[in-house]
Amino acid sequence: MDLPIYYVRGEYIETDTGNKVSRKATIAGPQNIILGGKTVIANGAIIRGDLRRTGAGHAVVISLGRYCLVGEGCIMRPPYKTYRGNFNYYPMKVGDHVHIGANTVVEAAQIGNHVEIGKNCVIGKFTIIKDCAKIADNTVIPPNTVIPALSLFAGSPGQFVEDMPESTQEMVEAMTKGYYTRFQPDPSLPPANTR
Amino acid sequence: MSPTLEYYCPCQSSTPHPPQPNLPSSSYSFHALHNLYFCEECDAIRCNHCVMVEVSGYYCPNCLFEVPSASVRAEKNRCRSCARNCFMCPCCSNTLTVVPSDPPDDGDGRPPPIISATGEPPFFLYCNHCRWDSAEVGITFEKPTGLAAQLQKFEDSAPEALEFERLKEHFEPYLRASPSTSGHGLGHSHSTHINPITAAASSALARDIPGVARYTPHISARSRSGRDKNSNRHEVPDYRARVEIGSTGLNLGGGAESDVDFVRHLETVEEMATLEQRWGNSWIISPRASDLKPVRIPLHSKKSKRCPSCRHILIKPEQKAQSVRYKIKLVAANYLPAISISLPHMQAALAMLRRSGRAGAEPQDGTMLAGKTYPFHLSFTNPLYDPIQVRLHVQRALPPTSPNAPPDAEKARRPPFAVTLPSAAFPIAAFAEAWEYDDDEDMFGIDDDDFDGRGGGGAGRDARGKSRTVGVLERRANVTVVGGEVMISKEARGDVKFNMLVSYTYRSDDPDPADELGTPSRTQAQNRQPEMKTFSFYTVVDLGTIIVRDASGNDTE
Repeated sequence: MDLPIYYVRGEYIETDTGNKVSRKATIAGPQNIILGGKTVIANGAIIRGDLRRTGAGHAVVISLGRYCLVGEGCIMRPPYKTYRGNFNYYPMKVGDHVHIGANTVVEAAQIGNHVEIGKNCVIGKFTIIKDCAKIADNTVIPPNTVIPALSLFAGSPGQFVEDMPESTQEMVEAMTKGYYTRFQPDPSLPPANTR
Repeated sequence: MSPTLEYYCPCQSSTPHPPQPNLPSSSYSFHALHNLYFCEECDAIRCNHCVMVEVSGYYCPNCLFEVPSASVRAEKNRCRSCARNCFMCPCCSNTLTVVPSDPPDDGDGRPPPIISATGEPPFFLYCNHCRWDSAEVGITFEKPTGLAAQLQKFEDSAPEALEFERLKEHFEPYLRASPSTSGHGLGHSHSTHINPITAAASSALARDIPGVARYTPHISARSRSGRDKNSNRHEVPDYRARVEIGSTGLNLGGGAESDVDFVRHLETVEEMATLEQRWGNSWIISPRASDLKPVRIPLHSKKSKRCPSCRHILIKPEQKAQSVRYKIKLVAANYLPAISISLPHMQAALAMLRRSGRAGAEPQDGTMLAGKTYPFHLSFTNPLYDPIQVRLHVQRALPPTSPNAPPDAEKARRPPFAVTLPSAAFPIAAFAEAWEYDDDEDMFGIDDDDFDGRGGGGAGRDARGKSRTVGVLERRANVTVVGGEVMISKEARGDVKFNMLVSYTYRSDDPDPADELGTPSRTQAQNRQPEMKTFSFYTVVDLGTIIVRDASGNDTE
């Protein structure tokens, strides 16, 4: 019943695992970013994989799970702090079935599974968002906030509003899977047109 | 403003029929499917308004520590608060962090990060959001740990807290004395006419709250031990308060002269603490915003839910606080077909807008005009492992009990639009796990061959003969899409909103899938009546607002 969400075929690169990454997104330090598969990175998103922990060796900066969406104009930036006099970035982990709305800035340390984050939000540094939580549109979550499982947060500063329904997990899963299925190249545009 | 469909829970009314959809109060009886529960014993829909809620565990929303319910109770006046270092900003309710008094200067003006172990004492609590800090109200700490214990000294030395302690001390002998007197009266004769559950509850209460609970058998034995009780009452000497509330000039908030004086000299509204900031407190506190103290974070709870009539558990969460799994979860989405609704003409308009690059614009083309006929699509998804037959009815307007809008009372009686739904029952195939993983490509096209092959029931063909918009439009996996039509009269206005009765019949002629149903009681019920079982429920369909074409009635803009 839901309409497909069409994109111009050449605008997105599809990986072997089904990730769809916009060419108009800024992916800094891609070697430090993990996408779980079937994850969509929309136009204009900025993912800062280059902001890695100091020190030698390979480091995962941002990891996203399966069926995630990084909305248009989103900024995903790892959290940072000065600990015992040393400035450092810390990794950001995002679970499966996480949708992040357009123009949201995320500096969370950890986002669980089945989390919905609305549009125009600011998720402060080192925020921990547990499973099945939801952040309403235009919410500002201050740094170091913990958002418990199955809770809806809204406002500035973001505050607990209500418990999410018990079937949140199934609903979010269906929504994210549905979104990925609907997100497809526009058939009305010929493939030759893409480059 | 996409069309919506909500499900009816009959708990608010005495009749099984829902209220008229144009009544403002009707919205209270309708819920989204995901908010509803289903009681197998009663074979009924339950909603959050009618279920019985029990607390199954407490946790702190900040540190996520699970607080045992015994210690929640035992914490006396500090109950329901986190005993760890979790404090809430009194100004903005954000979580406070502990910072050392002389933060290392980064020179970038950012709030100092939490390096509690390495900072200089004294420590204080700092709000990352509004920059409130506890040093403003004179609260500092020697150590960055155990703040609750350190702060407890402040709290305990408050005159109100001291007074409460004294009051408790005063009544302690009486409370201790009363169980001892009534305890003898609790003979075996009592247990015969005390419900074992009541007895268990009262003994549990007695264990937790001394005095109060033992009073319960006292009441039941009132006739016999009334004499004892009266004598006890006389033993309690008069209590003389040591602090006169509101009398001391130093304490603001008591409604005394000093309050008036303070309000008279207010310069900005911000100097006054708001009601939200003050009313979680046990005692009257100062109305000055600058006097607000850090607040302990109230605990959250996990709740289990029961059916109001048979008391069977509908929702039972797992013990672990942050687990999102449930031991028992009887949600309506697992029993009732999920229905979603769409207006094809609105979707076409949306698609047009999206293609022309104006996705954010309001789809004006998709609105409904008076005097026109619009098709709509209802998509049914079967959650059961059995195929079902669904039959739809529009609820006819009942005789008006109270016309909601006096000027057009006769219009309220007869809706200004006519809804046509497929009259015959239509099938929906069973749910199969395999379809979950099937990313079929032609999901969005109407497969006509498939329709002719499988869905050629009487309903589809008849409707197709009449018009192509009413009847079964599409069948795939466990989803059936049916079309309906709404004919809006010329002088219509308001919302196109109607109640729809959905009846579904399922047959269990195949015993094997019934075993996999996972719901034992339902399986039994089917085995008893192997032929048919029907369940009906009401829904409300809101297709949107009618746009009146002439300029005079253009109130929806």
